[in-house]
Amino acid sequence: MSTTSTGESTGQSTGQSTGTDAVAPASAPAASTSPGSGPLLRATDLVKEFAVPGTGGLLGRADTFRAVDGVSLEVRARETLALVGESGSGKSTTARIVARLMDATSGEVVFDGEPVTRAKGDRLRRFRSDVQVVFQDPYSSLNPRHTVERIVTAPLVYQGREVPGGTRAFTQQLMERVGLDPDHHRRYPSQFSGGQAQRIGIARALAVSPRLVVCDEAVSALDVSVQAQIINLLRRLQREEGFSYLFIAHDLAVVRQIADRVAVMSQGRIVEQGERDAVFDDPQHEYTRTLLAAVPRIRPEWERARREAAGARAEEETTA
Amino acid sequence: MSTLLEVEDLTITFRTAHGPVDVVDGLSFTLEQGASLGIVGESGSGKSMTSLAVMGLLPPTASLRGRVSLDGAELTALPESKVRRLRGDRMSMIFQDPLSSLNPYYSVGMQIEEAYRAHRPGVTRRQARKVAVEAMERVHIADAARRVDHYPHQFSGGMRQRVMIAMALSTEPDLLIADEPTTALDVTVQAQILDLLQEVRRETGTALILISHDLAVVSEIAEDVVVMRHGVAVEQAPAERLFSDPQHPYTRALLDAVPRIDDEIGELRGIDSAAGVGGKS
Repeated sequence: MSTTSTGESTGQSTGQSTGTDAVAPASAPAASTSPGSGPLLRATDLVKEFAVPGTGGLLGRADTFRAVDGVSLEVRARETLALVGESGSGKSTTARIVARLMDATSGEVVFDGEPVTRAKGDRLRRFRSDVQVVFQDPYSSLNPRHTVERIVTAPLVYQGREVPGGTRAFTQQLMERVGLDPDHHRRYPSQFSGGQAQRIGIARALAVSPRLVVCDEAVSALDVSVQAQIINLLRRLQREEGFSYLFIAHDLAVVRQIADRVAVMSQGRIVEQGERDAVFDDPQHEYTRTLLAAVPRIRPEWERARREAAGARAEEETTA
Repeated sequence: MSTLLEVEDLTITFRTAHGPVDVVDGLSFTLEQGASLGIVGESGSGKSMTSLAVMGLLPPTASLRGRVSLDGAELTALPESKVRRLRGDRMSMIFQDPLSSLNPYYSVGMQIEEAYRAHRPGVTRRQARKVAVEAMERVHIADAARRVDHYPHQFSGGMRQRVMIAMALSTEPDLLIADEPTTALDVTVQAQILDLLQEVRRETGTALILISHDLAVVSEIAEDVVVMRHGVAVEQAPAERLFSDPQHPYTRALLDAVPRIDDEIGELRGIDSAAGVGGKS
């Protein structure tokens, strides 16, 4: 029934995001893969309402809860837009709508100049190969009874496309690109560690050469050392392939490592969006400031001392 | 300050189909009265098993060698009945997921009262209720006198963790073990719970062991830190020394791998040998 009461609406259906977002002149990376000059993906005024369980029924309409309340965003070619927020902020729902895993109550998604909100048939199939999703928990998003080979070629099979070069060679080549041992192509997900399983999920996303990869908390469940490797991998693949990321995360420190631009969500709305360093170094919205202040930090003086010691050690080693 | 907890050469072995596996191997540390200790490590490091061993809560497939003493009493030599009397009284523990630690069918007040009365047999219902309300006030649950009758599902995640802390503190224990207490919480709520743990320690003199995978969280709370890896304490030191001048290569690598909010790190360094274990696990 209730929606958010706090104002601060950037979601007014101007179709243009406000906040600290610089209008992004020609700064978009050159050689954009879109034919048009517009963004790769544009979502306008997305709304998602859910019926509140236990309300409504035969005689009355159910109360609704607005999980996403007028969200507009753009993902440009070759960039990473991070959507950050706490639980219940609507970030994952937004991602699901954008990837057409869920239908919006209202609003529009335009991909590469074409509206896809209600696309069906061939158009939807084409969209599905342009947009891939990597989920948080690799084990539950990979079929435990399927081999790596079957998992990573599944997107092609579903789309009735041929596997270029044959299943095995194709799988092995993908595995190499994501840093897995290609000899393990017949293994099952449970035979891999969490970080390795996540690499399989990434390989599956790459199989159809997507132009947008939606990462829904893709590194959140990983140990810190493994997380660092996966972040590096995601960055490297983007450099190599030139696709864009819509990166959903609650961890602001991770976002700082990977995002070009950041949109901060709270209670179904984007309260602030802009270039990464602008949002982190000079947050405009009260909520962004609260969020940033709450992140636990190692004391800066300890950090400095540690880096100096490490630098001194490195120097010693080179002179020795 | 005298020593509250002494762990000496603790080894925990699990019987598995592939033979015995040491999940903790020769761990030693001490904790002074009222002090705080952080145990950090990645998954499989043995940090949680260590806390369960201290509480006497290891699963039956585990066997333990070494010594754990609380305030001079050797827990590892005591019969289970005696350990049970200490657990929840002199030492308490809170976990990552408060919802699974609370019974959905009873009000939170009932559960705090029950936990309290289990260790204070002579206490009346009314006295126990007073303790429950006071415990909830101490952890800053507003309107505690009314909230005490509410059920777990009527509380948010952060509030539930406050309830768990209230329950753990109702008997005024000497030692509180918090195992990933904020891992399931949003970052703003996490900050509040960490503040609360600090405050509680300051005001009640309860010693704290914080188990976490998060180095930054540990750095904010702990006076001393143990870094565990594959069941072994690779480094232990006062927090300042550990974070400003780590000695062990693993500690250094771990600190290098943490993404920082305040700046972009060129290339985050992973820990190859740790990640490359793979295979069956």
